[in-house]
Amino acid sequence: MKRSPRAGLLLFLAPLVVASRPPLAAQVDDLSGPWRAAVDQAGGPLRFALELRSAGSGWSGTLCNGPACDDLSAITPMGDSVRFEMADYDATITAVGRGDSLIGYYRNVGNRGPRVMPFRAARGRWPVAPAGPALQGSWDAVFDQGGRRSPRVFLIRNGPAGMEAAYHTNSGGYGLFWGSATPSDSFDLGRFDGAFVYRLTGRLDGDTLRGVFHAGLRTQTPWVAVRSTGRPHLTPPFEVTSADTSRPFEFAFPDLQGRTVTHRDSRFAGKVVLVDIFGSWCPTCHFAAPALRALYRDYRDRGFAIVGLAYEVSGDTAIDNRQVRRFRDKYGITWPILLAGINETAATAATLPQLQGFTAYPTSVFLGRDGRVRAVHAGFLGPEAGPLYDAQIRELRGVLEELLAEP
Amino acid sequence: MRTTARRVLLGAALGTAPFRGYVAAQGREAIVERERAAHRGWLMTGHNSPYAVLVQRHIGPGLTLGPATADLPLEGVGATRLSERDGVPYLRADGRESPLPRFRMYPLGSFRLFIAGPPGRSSVTLYGPGPRNPKPPVWYEYDPRMSLEVTLAPPTQPGSRRMLAADGLEVVATDAGTVSVSLGAQPATLTVLRVPDPAGEESELEIFFRDPTNEGSTYPAGRFVSLEPLGGARYRLDFNRARNPFCAYSTAFACPLPWRGNALPVAIEAGEKYGGGGLTPP
Repeated sequence: MKRSPRAGLLLFLAPLVVASRPPLAAQVDDLSGPWRAAVDQAGGPLRFALELRSAGSGWSGTLCNGPACDDLSAITPMGDSVRFEMADYDATITAVGRGDSLIGYYRNVGNRGPRVMPFRAARGRWPVAPAGPALQGSWDAVFDQGGRRSPRVFLIRNGPAGMEAAYHTNSGGYGLFWGSATPSDSFDLGRFDGAFVYRLTGRLDGDTLRGVFHAGLRTQTPWVAVRSTGRPHLTPPFEVTSADTSRPFEFAFPDLQGRTVTHRDSRFAGKVVLVDIFGSWCPTCHFAAPALRALYRDYRDRGFAIVGLAYEVSGDTAIDNRQVRRFRDKYGITWPILLAGINETAATAATLPQLQGFTAYPTSVFLGRDGRVRAVHAGFLGPEAGPLYDAQIRELRGVLEELLAEP
Repeated sequence: MRTTARRVLLGAALGTAPFRGYVAAQGREAIVERERAAHRGWLMTGHNSPYAVLVQRHIGPGLTLGPATADLPLEGVGATRLSERDGVPYLRADGRESPLPRFRMYPLGSFRLFIAGPPGRSSVTLYGPGPRNPKPPVWYEYDPRMSLEVTLAPPTQPGSRRMLAADGLEVVATDAGTVSVSLGAQPATLTVLRVPDPAGEESELEIFFRDPTNEGSTYPAGRFVSLEPLGGARYRLDFNRARNPFCAYSTAFACPLPWRGNALPVAIEAGEKYGGGGLTPP
């Protein structure tokens, strides 16, 4: 393997030097190992890590925000380029090798069109410095979005791979933000997973944290935070408060094999059922899946069942089916998943007639043994929330214990 | 043009086709070209391309969908009603009613619904299976003189306004201030609004502007261009990135009203051209 003397150094903005480059094959062979990567937002680089391994005749790898890693769904060499796919979010990174660097762009498609951002990576790991005690703890932040103010909560701490923060909004957690403290109680944290392209920078100013939240290519939102007082700062996600509980909760959708499964299915008869409304496009649903699997493992022998209702986004049955299968396999889900968004006729379009509005993904609807709605949990905080996550899991387990104890 | 010559020279030095992409990755022009390529690909093949949109309507007091006599006749779809109560959209069919998620594609037969707009004033965008007769977008050749650095002067007082974004959907945009542009003899002042993407955390500092090219080769209603932060109050205003509102692609979209005062006296021969479509009756 040929390594240039500057391996591990990032010379991102260096002018093009075309004098020599290793043969293509050498670059391709060199892919495995740790890479420090970044996508360039207008306000600077959003840092993350790639860990690539050779696997058979190709490669596999993970994309990491500190200790929070996700498998890349495919790594495809194309000449002297390579494409990384984050298929859950219909996102790709395409990069060409230059010496020991990869330079290219990240692309995904939003509601208003495609988003393309510069990407670069070099061998090695980002240096990180831990947060001083003055930064650590829970902070209540207010974002100023051009005159519109909205609350956030940051839980800042040091983790196994550097400084990290849980980031909470009214509609749930955004996953683990990871990065480094910088001198004089400043910090630079990021979350990049193919869907979320977020960076949080700030510094301590007396008792106040001030900073900028960078979203996507160009959005920069200033924020100010003070230490959490203990009073609730966030408004919980809009909850389904007026579910029809007068009769069993009804649903009828095709499963991944195209067979219609209804609430009358024998797999649910007399059981406590968690109806998991989710979408494979939803990062928060990815955070929730392992927790649901643990609940399923612990309670299924006592009469607990889960049914997943997937709301997908492409509207193409084949694509939706593929995305949901990927989600199922990624989390080892063994409960039935139904494609709730897929309707052959308008008659089946009225999918969840007994819920009076849901806006949060995921939403968990708990049905008692008689099939009626007994509780609803909207949104989800990921494990990065620490004690809040634990409290949430205790709450979910409490609901299950109570419902399972009923005759 | 000078920039083209430079690109050719570097391409020749590198010799291999795949590296041209990399050379391109270094320059401003290449960033714009890549954005254009992505936009073209999305327009021509994207599942949510503007060319896949059949119609965009306010839900208002309610819409009927399905049969030939419905507000929105949809082949193969039975009688369905779309309404909005307390800011929540509902779909009713076969005597059953279901709430719809906002900002997500919702399949209905071979069609897809997309609910957006402020709660209580929601719009539905109806998508067909994919782009229908898409027209490749056309641009002026990249012109480095049309990429400016500007200073954003904050607004004299905070304010916000309801407006249509480039995709024809209503949003509440906030006043971000003005930028002064000197192209040719007289400087012009352009209003800048922060236009949110209500589906997420992102927003853009947008300028919807008109210029003399609107009479000929560019879209008559004007074009959008977004500012790129350079730090502090400095921004890049690159008219090579000027783009059409979606109403330029298809009459399915409502067209934003031109912003008062945002008319440049100089022809901006940069950015996206108008290839017909939005104003041409089907």
